Amino acid sequence: MAVGEGKFLLYSFIDPPLPVGEYRFRTDLLLSGTDSTGTRDADDMPVQQLDTHVRIRTPRYQLPPDQVLSTFPPANTEGAYGSRLPQVVIKRRTLPWERDLAGQPSTTPWLALVLIAEGEAELMMNQPVDHCVTPGVTLPGIADSQLGNYLKLRKSVINRVFPTCKDVPLLAHAREVDIHDTELMMGDDDGFLAVVVSNRLPVPGRDANGDEVPVKYLACLINLEGQFDALLPEAPPVSSRFSDLTLFAELPVDVAQWDHIASGHTASTLNPEIGIGLAGPFGPIGPGGTPADAAAADGNDPAPLADGFAAGPTSRLMPNAPAGAAAYIPTASWSIEDAIDQPVSVYHEMARDFAVAGSLHQFDNLDFITRDPVYRFPVLLHWSFTSTGNKTFRRLMEDLDSGLLSSLPDQPRLATPGRPPIEVVETGHVGLPHRTRRGDAVRSWYRGPLVPHPTKDPASGRLSLAHAADQLRIVVPDGREDLSLAAAFEIGRLIALSRPGIVGSMMRWRQAGYLSARRLSILEINADLLDELFGEVSPIVDNPLPHVVIGREFVKRVTLAPGELLGPPRAMFDPGRPLELDEPALDLLTTGFAIDTGILSGTPTEMLDSLRSFQVPVARQLGDVGEIGGLVEGGLLGGLQKQAIAATLHAGLDLELQGLVSDTLAGQFDLNPVVGPAMPRTTPIAPNRGRGRAPRRDALDRLNADITFDAHTDRGDVS
Amino acid sequence: MKTSGKFIVHDLPVKLAGVKVAPVSVDNDDDDSAIPAELRNWLVRLRLLEGVPFANLVADSELLPSESIRWFYIDRRWTDALVQGALSVGTVNTDDRTQLTANYPAIREELDAEERNLRRARGTNRWKGGAGPISGFLLRSQAVSGWPALHVRAFNVDPANGDDARYHEDDPRRMRLLRLERLAPAVLLCMFDGIPSLVHMEEPRQGVQFGFDAKLEDGQIEATLRPRNRSTFEYLGGSPIEVPFRSGGAAGVIDIQQLERRLAALPETGAADSLESSEYALQLVRFPYRQVFGEVTEPELSMVFRPTVSYERVAKLFKEVL
Repeated sequence: MAVGEGKFLLYSFIDPPLPVGEYRFRTDLLLSGTDSTGTRDADDMPVQQLDTHVRIRTPRYQLPPDQVLSTFPPANTEGAYGSRLPQVVIKRRTLPWERDLAGQPSTTPWLALVLIAEGEAELMMNQPVDHCVTPGVTLPGIADSQLGNYLKLRKSVINRVFPTCKDVPLLAHAREVDIHDTELMMGDDDGFLAVVVSNRLPVPGRDANGDEVPVKYLACLINLEGQFDALLPEAPPVSSRFSDLTLFAELPVDVAQWDHIASGHTASTLNPEIGIGLAGPFGPIGPGGTPADAAAADGNDPAPLADGFAAGPTSRLMPNAPAGAAAYIPTASWSIEDAIDQPVSVYHEMARDFAVAGSLHQFDNLDFITRDPVYRFPVLLHWSFTSTGNKTFRRLMEDLDSGLLSSLPDQPRLATPGRPPIEVVETGHVGLPHRTRRGDAVRSWYRGPLVPHPTKDPASGRLSLAHAADQLRIVVPDGREDLSLAAAFEIGRLIALSRPGIVGSMMRWRQAGYLSARRLSILEINADLLDELFGEVSPIVDNPLPHVVIGREFVKRVTLAPGELLGPPRAMFDPGRPLELDEPALDLLTTGFAIDTGILSGTPTEMLDSLRSFQVPVARQLGDVGEIGGLVEGGLLGGLQKQAIAATLHAGLDLELQGLVSDTLAGQFDLNPVVGPAMPRTTPIAPNRGRGRAPRRDALDRLNADITFDAHTDRGDVS
Repeated sequence: MKTSGKFIVHDLPVKLAGVKVAPVSVDNDDDDSAIPAELRNWLVRLRLLEGVPFANLVADSELLPSESIRWFYIDRRWTDALVQGALSVGTVNTDDRTQLTANYPAIREELDAEERNLRRARGTNRWKGGAGPISGFLLRSQAVSGWPALHVRAFNVDPANGDDARYHEDDPRRMRLLRLERLAPAVLLCMFDGIPSLVHMEEPRQGVQFGFDAKLEDGQIEATLRPRNRSTFEYLGGSPIEVPFRSGGAAGVIDIQQLERRLAALPETGAADSLESSEYALQLVRFPYRQVFGEVTEPELSMVFRPTVSYERVAKLFKEVL
């Protein structure tokens, strides 16, 4: 049946399909058929029997973490949980009924959630699993882990704290929730959950003065296997003498001992004396009764002592239970006097508050052991929380003083020196002392943003913009100043100034707005240009970001019609420059070649003969550098001078040529007598190739070397 | 000037609630704005009083005693002055101030609309509209420190039948929360977009819980249980059952068998033919407590507002002076 939205179904128990144990599945396959020889049966076609061994397991000493969907009250929290029963929600719906308790119907869960106040029991951590049950009890089957935790407590505490045999079946149920309801599902996969509820309310404690003190509780999910008969068979009858007390429960504690919980730390010194003082009916313990000694006496490995050992408080039903009352005897009649004051160790932090061998062992004498033996129960899961006060959410809400702001309590405070009584006007204004800038001590009115009744805006609309706080100071007719709005302005300014990022953002925003406004005004002035650019309708008039629009529009226009805005593109190549001949061609030739005009006259034959016999002028080698320098400095050279230079250069060139040829060819002829003379084998000339031999400098080199450069001009400018 | 306290406390809120601007939903989130988004968001949060020192919200500790809830309206003139102060930063010359003066109406309009969108759920439409009245409460109680994440819901439905009001977040009868924040471990500030007629404050939900109605008096706990019908889950009439504790048991240990016997006297609980664990759990189911604020009958003014200087006295004084 599907569960409706927001609903859930409760089941008293869900039986597992198979209880925990080892099983063997035996498989037989019987074949039969017909063929040409007739009918064949299983004997003709035997199939070997198959045995499959199956072990159904369930946790025994440790609850796997993924099986815990939630615990309430939440672990390590502090709150007014006094009216709520602790509970644990388990993922597997059948888990509480997967093990059978001897002699009990299968509807009885093997798990119980017990709530231990500090000082009632010890939680031993990480012990071998065979130590996790009371000595003498053995749990058959295979253990699910090597180490486990166990709760160590006396029979009297079991009687007072644990559920009775009749209670246990009522404290576990299964729940089916809507699988679409994530809140109720709590991360389950199939919508079925198992819930184990405690039988005890985590009531806060109170000290001798009746004041509430927080109490730390440890919730333990324990395994009842093999020890179910350790529980009380049923709740003791109500004593007529104390019948009305059954309506109440209380946990008186000694504040001095619970101080560490209230203040969040544990006493740091080992002080067995405190425990001794609280020993109550069992008398003082000798100095040798340290926890370590006691652990050794118990035959267990002494557990490491926690840093913050402190003795525990006394738990009892009534604060004035008579000292020295007899210990609980199961067969005795129930009365308040039978209750035991049971001092045990208190440790901090979850299990550590409840762990480490403590004063339980201090009573290990034969008489006591027989009367109040110690039991051990495996703890599958434990967590702790602190219960404080009786102030539930409901109580707090119902007791709230509800009123409009500026409403004073029924008993306003009295005037004290330096603090006059509060002055509140019905408008919500409060009179406050005010030191003016001139130093006068006056009283002014102030009203914050939270007012006791709606404020009406003035007819002119909302508050006009002010640029300084002083613009918002108001003097009211009674002569005092109303500084409410001025204070608001200053607070806003100071908050903004305290945030450099906001100031920067504001400045950027202001700057961007300013630049935009500036551009806009420039564009408005140049409206004609814009009309030309954008046409008749300018898209930038109302735009807050004109520069962006103009930029985009300009690019667009340029792309579409570049000729209109930028002019025609450059031609691919430029036409050549015409030669200008301002002299007769013959003159140009003779001048250019430095020859006489007569040579180029006459018939072509005569002209050729003349040219053959004509000595071409060559440059002669200059005698010294100064000659050339003087020539260059002289500016333009005359025609004769040019000829002279040409002849000089020519002669110099000839000399150089001869020198080069003779240098190059010297020793390069192959004088093999067989083959005979051959062409010279030349080698490439590389400058500076010879070792230590400087290359020969020609005239041009020398000319270049003598040119001086002006320091103030570019290298190309010859001075 | 009307100085009647009754008018101001009772009539004015109703009048303002009637004329408040109904916000409209808009689809696009890319409108050109008068102010950059990061600046706008900061100013909106500032206008919802983020960062304002508590002493400036409540000028005297006596105005917010412990274990009290104080209801208020927001003075828009004050928050406008706050924003003006923030905007005044860096206005060094007349050009700056001229520019701010030109832009201020648009900025204020934008902030009016944006303050609704501050707590808008992601993916939902934006809200627009003019500035309406803002109200809220300051709660100083252990409930704030001890029950973090308590639920606050506000409605503008008739308080007479609004105890079980359940409306979706977008329902027009549900008031939007503009701010819900703990200013101190035990002080909660809540601001509504409008003036609600009903406010629910609910214990944080932590799944199904089991327990009793427990009362601690004089250091003794007294627990009661209102029995429920096994089939309908409805409460049965009659007085609650007193929950018995185990005689000789430790503090708080329930005597379940005796409780069963007491339940068995009521056949509708299903306990008559022996109590089962599911029936027991059903009787113990506790739901988160919900406190409903909303006056069905008009309260006396003196019950909700107790100043030291009355309007009448102020008016008289002013008349004398003027």
